[in-house]
Amino acid sequence: MRLGRGALVGGLALLLLLSAGALACGSSGLGFGEGGGLAWLRLPRVLAALAAGGALGIGGATQQGLFRNPLADPGLTGVFGGALLGLALLLGFAPAFAWGHAWALPAAAFGGALGVSSLLVVIGRDGPPHRLLLTGLGLNAFAAAGTLLIANLAPESRELLLNGSFGDWLGMASPELIVRPALLCLIAGGLLWTLARPLDLLALGEEAAQAAGCDLRRLRRRAILLTALAAAAATCLVGQMAFVGLLAPHLARALFGPRHRWVLPVSALLGATLLLLADTAGRAAIPGTPLSAAAVMALLGAPLFIWIARRSHG
Amino acid sequence: MDDATLRLERVAFEVAGRRLLDGVGGTMWPGEQVALVGANGAGKTTLLRAVAGLLPTTTGVLSATGLDPRTASPADSARRRVYAPQHPDCAWNPTVAELGELAAQPAAWLHWSERLALTDLAARPLATLSGGERKAAHLALSFATLTEPYGALLLLDEPTAALDRRRQEIVHQAVRAFAQAGATVLVATHDADWATAFPRVLALEEGRVIADGPPATVFNADLVRAIWGGPAA
Repeated sequence: MRLGRGALVGGLALLLLLSAGALACGSSGLGFGEGGGLAWLRLPRVLAALAAGGALGIGGATQQGLFRNPLADPGLTGVFGGALLGLALLLGFAPAFAWGHAWALPAAAFGGALGVSSLLVVIGRDGPPHRLLLTGLGLNAFAAAGTLLIANLAPESRELLLNGSFGDWLGMASPELIVRPALLCLIAGGLLWTLARPLDLLALGEEAAQAAGCDLRRLRRRAILLTALAAAAATCLVGQMAFVGLLAPHLARALFGPRHRWVLPVSALLGATLLLLADTAGRAAIPGTPLSAAAVMALLGAPLFIWIARRSHG
Repeated sequence: MDDATLRLERVAFEVAGRRLLDGVGGTMWPGEQVALVGANGAGKTTLLRAVAGLLPTTTGVLSATGLDPRTASPADSARRRVYAPQHPDCAWNPTVAELGELAAQPAAWLHWSERLALTDLAARPLATLSGGERKAAHLALSFATLTEPYGALLLLDEPTAALDRRRQEIVHQAVRAFAQAGATVLVATHDADWATAFPRVLALEEGRVIADGPPATVFNADLVRAIWGGPAA
């Protein structure tokens, strides 16, 4: 039994309710504060989680569709690592420029994400699914090492970069910091949705898709560019975040079937929901001991990842 | 300018120093049904893939529905040409009905899924079907894509392999019906009985055309032995 349009609308309504709950939820307990003051303070963080989660979800669904690989996730295949490395290069070596130009940080993250995405395609595209994943894990480790090295060389950006590599940037969300990346998340997500039909054809295999009229080179180019943009924008909002882009498409396919006209928007919706829940749970579950959204997602996502890996090879 | 659906002259394709197609030639017209026969490795699938535009390094003159498939955009090529591969595949394990949603025209999908006895399987994921049922579902999708047959080109690679007798007969009828409606149908097959029922047979050996004509003249004892290992049925 597959769900349809009604369930999607219901999911959106639920997300609105959860967002209201997240605005009311904090380490000091439940409530919006006097005159809604606390809610206004939390609003940028909630919006950042929604935008980043949506971008992560639809980015993961696109990457899985593009590589026809259920284990593909920009968080695991190094695209977020590349985005963070791009940010680290700029923050480490030109911090004044980074903070002085509004688009400098998103542009640096995009450059890093695009570099890793391109390498991933060149090295890991053909061959069995595990080759892509192993290539991505290698690139991820390389990017993480590069970020760590820069963090050590640049003491003034060290804490910021370490927090980013642990996916712990949501706490510093402010209107000025989130507006541009959130806008980029929306643009990337909207454009990625237009790839639904060619991604559906690609499910038939590269040759069959091409024979059915799918321009593979164009699809690949657009998907890689837009996934890198989504990953870069999401990284600017939350730092490095694994598993959202893996889990959301799997849930979307289980609930709505494999057609990408459903999988892409539902993955965005589920990605936003997952990240919002992870962030809210992380800051409210244990009063006085906040946990980053990335840590909560990893606690939830790692066992599922192992389950999916076992299933896809079984 | 001519009305040929398919024109091949000195078509050659080489991979890793091995010639898989070697000077293939032939012209096919609207309404023609052509069986492509040959032993394993003769080049049947390679020729179909070359005509479908999937082998861009193919050399020679190649024109399919008025386009050079090597340089035409995939969308333009696919407008008048359908290619059904020998081993179709689909990621994400859709149901039969979800596979059918890829067809451009839902009515055409309903028609072919009914004819190929897939209606009762509509809600079943492809992974739960037999090989023959899966093949039938992919064939229904290919047939449903060809909504305007006149002047179109239908390339079928072993379409009846793995199908039961009932579905094989439906495919035979479909090929005849598409040809009667003006499509050119080129079918690679190992089915000796079916191949002899085609008005025209193109025989390949080591990438070369060794015979081209009506089955009565093409199927001599040597050719039959080379392909099927014995006299024709």
